[in-house]
Amino acid sequence: MRNSLRCLIVCVLLLTGAGAQYQQAMPGYEYQFPRDHFSHPDYRTEWWYYTGNLKANDGRRFGFELTFFRQGVNRKPLQNVDWGVQDLYLAHFAVSDIGRQKFYYTERVNRAGPGIAGISRQQGRVWNGNWQAEWVNDGQQLQAIGKDFGLQLQLKSNKPPVIHGQNGVSQKGEGIGHASHYISFTRLITSGHIEIEGKSYEVKGTSWMDHEFSTESLAANEVGWDWLSIQLGDDTELMLYRLRRTDGSVDRYSSGTYIDGQGRGTHLSARDFSMLPLGETWRSTKSQARYPIAWRVNVPSIGLELQIHAAMQNQELAGKTRLSTSYWEGAIDVSGTRAHKPIAGDGYLEMTGYDKPLDFSGP
Amino acid sequence: MTRLLLFFRLMVRPLFREPIRTATTVLAVALGVAVVIAIELAGDAAAGSFRSSVETLAGDSEIEVTATGGVPDDLVGKLATLPYPIRVRPRIEGFAVVTQTGESVPVIGLDLIAEAGDRMSRDWKLPDFADGSERGADLSSGVWVGRRLASKAGDQIKLQINDDTREYKVRGVLPSSAGDNAVLMDIAEAQQELSRTGRVDRILIRVPDQPSLEIWQQRLRQVLPDGVQVRPQGSGTEENRRMMAAFRWNLRILSYVALVVGAFLIYNTISVSVVRRRPEIGILRALGASRREVLAAFLCESILFGVVGALLALPLGRAMAVGAVNLLGTTVNSLYVSSQPGSINLNWRIIGLALMVGIGVAVLSAISPAREAAQVSPVEAMARGRREYILRVEKWRDLWIAVGLGIAGVAAAKIPAIDGKPLFGYLSAILFIGASALAMPALVEALLAAGTRVLTALLGVEALLASRSLKGSLRRTAVLVGALSTAVAMMTSVGIMVGSFRQTVVVWMNSQLPADIYLRPVGNPAIDRHPTISPDLADQIEKLPGVEAVDRFRSYDINYQNMPATLASAETETARYYHSSGFLSGKPDREVVAALRGGDNAIVSEPFANKHHVKAGDTLTLSLGERKVSFHVLDVFYDYASERGFVILDRDTMLKYLPDPAPTNLAVYLKPRANLAAVRREIERVSANRAVLIFSNRDIRAEAVRIFDQTFAITYALEAIAIIVAVMGVAGALLALVIDRRRELGLLRFLGAATAQIRKMILVEAGVLGLLANLAGLLLGFVLSLVLIYVINKQSFGWTIQFHWPVAVLLAALTIVYVATVLAGLYPARIATRLIPIEVVHEE
Repeated sequence: MRNSLRCLIVCVLLLTGAGAQYQQAMPGYEYQFPRDHFSHPDYRTEWWYYTGNLKANDGRRFGFELTFFRQGVNRKPLQNVDWGVQDLYLAHFAVSDIGRQKFYYTERVNRAGPGIAGISRQQGRVWNGNWQAEWVNDGQQLQAIGKDFGLQLQLKSNKPPVIHGQNGVSQKGEGIGHASHYISFTRLITSGHIEIEGKSYEVKGTSWMDHEFSTESLAANEVGWDWLSIQLGDDTELMLYRLRRTDGSVDRYSSGTYIDGQGRGTHLSARDFSMLPLGETWRSTKSQARYPIAWRVNVPSIGLELQIHAAMQNQELAGKTRLSTSYWEGAIDVSGTRAHKPIAGDGYLEMTGYDKPLDFSGP
Repeated sequence: MTRLLLFFRLMVRPLFREPIRTATTVLAVALGVAVVIAIELAGDAAAGSFRSSVETLAGDSEIEVTATGGVPDDLVGKLATLPYPIRVRPRIEGFAVVTQTGESVPVIGLDLIAEAGDRMSRDWKLPDFADGSERGADLSSGVWVGRRLASKAGDQIKLQINDDTREYKVRGVLPSSAGDNAVLMDIAEAQQELSRTGRVDRILIRVPDQPSLEIWQQRLRQVLPDGVQVRPQGSGTEENRRMMAAFRWNLRILSYVALVVGAFLIYNTISVSVVRRRPEIGILRALGASRREVLAAFLCESILFGVVGALLALPLGRAMAVGAVNLLGTTVNSLYVSSQPGSINLNWRIIGLALMVGIGVAVLSAISPAREAAQVSPVEAMARGRREYILRVEKWRDLWIAVGLGIAGVAAAKIPAIDGKPLFGYLSAILFIGASALAMPALVEALLAAGTRVLTALLGVEALLASRSLKGSLRRTAVLVGALSTAVAMMTSVGIMVGSFRQTVVVWMNSQLPADIYLRPVGNPAIDRHPTISPDLADQIEKLPGVEAVDRFRSYDINYQNMPATLASAETETARYYHSSGFLSGKPDREVVAALRGGDNAIVSEPFANKHHVKAGDTLTLSLGERKVSFHVLDVFYDYASERGFVILDRDTMLKYLPDPAPTNLAVYLKPRANLAAVRREIERVSANRAVLIFSNRDIRAEAVRIFDQTFAITYALEAIAIIVAVMGVAGALLALVIDRRRELGLLRFLGAATAQIRKMILVEAGVLGLLANLAGLLLGFVLSLVLIYVINKQSFGWTIQFHWPVAVLLAALTIVYVATVLAGLYPARIATRLIPIEVVHEE
């Protein structure tokens, strides 16, 4: 689900009640690659989400987030082919300079226009202006240029893509169709450059990519969610999300996936894990939101007991426009035990819905 | 302290003793300065607002990318995906006519989705499209408008874009920072409404401070096709300003005419006061005042005139500017660029200018009489009995200098323009005016000598006395005639120039408007706006019975060598030609036009050729769409429609590079025996749902002449003011004459002259002054008109104008001046008749 919420706000407002014309995420979907790495215009919401932990040669640590959203707003044929709007393309780009405790982020929104933004299977490319993810041979190349920061990274996966959920759908709420199709590359070996304020750093590390598409995934009574991706030292990964309801409880459709060394995924339902804040919080001066930045995660079935701490406090993407809300997404340090043996790792944490209650009264 | 007292006693006090003369002098200075600042203010207002709201809506971008006929859409994508931290903003720019008011307003299409993330859009509350109130609506319809056009969201506004009229829903009202009359819509809709298929008008690009702007321009140029122009944002506005500079310059010069006339009057006033105060000056000198002190005192008096005049001129000039802005606006729109007059701002620069000009002209014209005052020797001045002023008039020496100046004037007229400004042309005009002023005493004396007998025979003994009196005070008479004749000369010369120009245009139109019916979209014509007519309408008209052919004319705004110009194409095979040649080479039209059809050939208009130094046989490289194309210049044609200049191609050549088939104008040729009225009705029927104007050949000529007259209205207004200043001067001077001659007039009354006779005498003096001024002015005006037509006009605008005497206009104007001069004598005449003879004689 990630930031689809933010898209949804736009969607709710712009939509011509055309939801019915979009396809629902239904069980039994047959995945086909590379087709399913690219656009699914029959579904309203879709995103390509890259996060990662990187280290420069001198040991300086960075986190990054680069995300591309496509939000369908209109299914009618276009009168103006070049400039007419069927989808909105949003993108977020953030770099956490953990060594200097500085957080850089920016966002943009575009229409497809004459090649301004889009997804092309033919070109193997997902882009928004001069931010892009391009499939080259068996890897991907990321490029993003901000005003005073940027990155060029090569990503290569040693594991096949993981399909989350059960029977091809990741259920997000009560009722058929309240779900998404959700694919991840959970361990992308990464190298390249990060530029910050005119200086370039050669970096290496591990990234994670999510690709998710859906039409109506969320239920009406949720205020936000907490999402985690963890890459452990033993070549396994864990993805968990927790949906928070208006009454303060955790939704039973919260779930996750455990990925073993061979890349095989195991679905974890809400009953299979616990994910609880440890009490340490950080308050944003921009949005006034208070975020829990330390967590405890238990997955009894695989004997995992983990503690999670933000690698840096301020990793909030404060909403710059009325089209966007604020959320926290940043690099984390992971430590704990697996079957009582110490284990460590890193990953990314996303927390939304802490700044203000979100309006879900949509179609 | 003593000096101050001296100044007060000698200068200020007499001023109050003669309030009327003081007042007229000050008023003359005020009027002259007022005209200068009015033109300056009006020029600022008219020029300061070129597309102001279009540029306001441009936000803070540094670079603009443009191409003739528009930048292809895909270049926007190309620029947006460049690996540089730049912000790319595509725009559609056009205009619409508000149906209700007929006002032309800018229409701007922006990528509202991309702008929604920007600072600018937040300032303007643009994301209102994402507000709850607009839920369910999409971006693709509706407009945001300036507050003058609608008061609230939800209103409807009827706009005509090109030849199509539609209702638009107002989605929001723009804050005043975006201009009060702009229409904003999403780029998708704007592109469609303005039929810019596949193209945008401008791409604005925001770049970082480092590296330099030049390097950024270079980087962008490297990835763009040849024909696409990359330049600093607002270059177009800069070009317009530059283009307007010559026009404003000429107007400014014209505005100084009233000031020159004012200078004559100051000269006269101070001369008179020097003469009248000779005894006082003599006393002062005898008491030990130095020459320098006397000189300073008189100069101070003139400064006083200058300062008071300048201060009075400020409110006066501001008021005049309001009228001038309207007149100027028309000129600017029809000749240069569409603009909305801005506000009139009385700033420190203008106040400084007023003081500088006022004091400057006052001091300059006072120098000579003040020096004369300083020359007064104590003995001479104190000698009794020398009441009348006998001024040294060295008319022969002056005449020789005049001849010298005249020769210099002729020489200056032969020197080419400097930087597009006819500096030597103006010098030549000034030299001729100077020559005329210096020749005036000799001329006046000669004419009076010759005319006295005739006058006496016609009007009796009063005329003899009047004539003698004028001759007796030759210097003053010469100055008065000089002032008035300068005004008359200016009026005459501009009258001849405009009249010649008008006649030339009328003759030219007869050969250049051969079609029977013309069509263009509704709206005020402006040289840089090219609204289009639907191509299918042209096809429909072509199929009507009675129609032989339709010429689809298409024009675009281009810039050539950093100056705006108009690029146009015509269907040369349909055009009909007259026998007269419209080309400088004198070749028959048919021959040149046939050659135009074959390949990349062009013809250019005379102003274009002059401005850019292009001649037949040259090669002209133009950016068309994304390409750079070289054209062979076949010939230069006479054209009076645009000062910016035209480049004309064959329609097929144009379509090869800019494939938009929509024409901007249609010229319809009828079959030999077709009925004009019937065909016109048919055309009206097929274009009923289109906002087009239909002109018959006669209509369009009348329209052209109307626009021409509007264009030159400002020059007439300026002349009228110069004449008013001059006539006022005559009144003041005659009054001075009367007061100075109290003794003489009193003596005449004492000797038995009737009041009627005195009145007649004064009026004859006024009449003679007017006649002399008209004669001298006409002569000087003729010479100046030659300078205007063949030097100044040619050098600054590049038009070939055939000389033509606008007899009726000139006769009417001269008669008005003459009558005004005689009427100006009425008040002094009344004062003269009221003098009580006994008292006056007793003063002795």
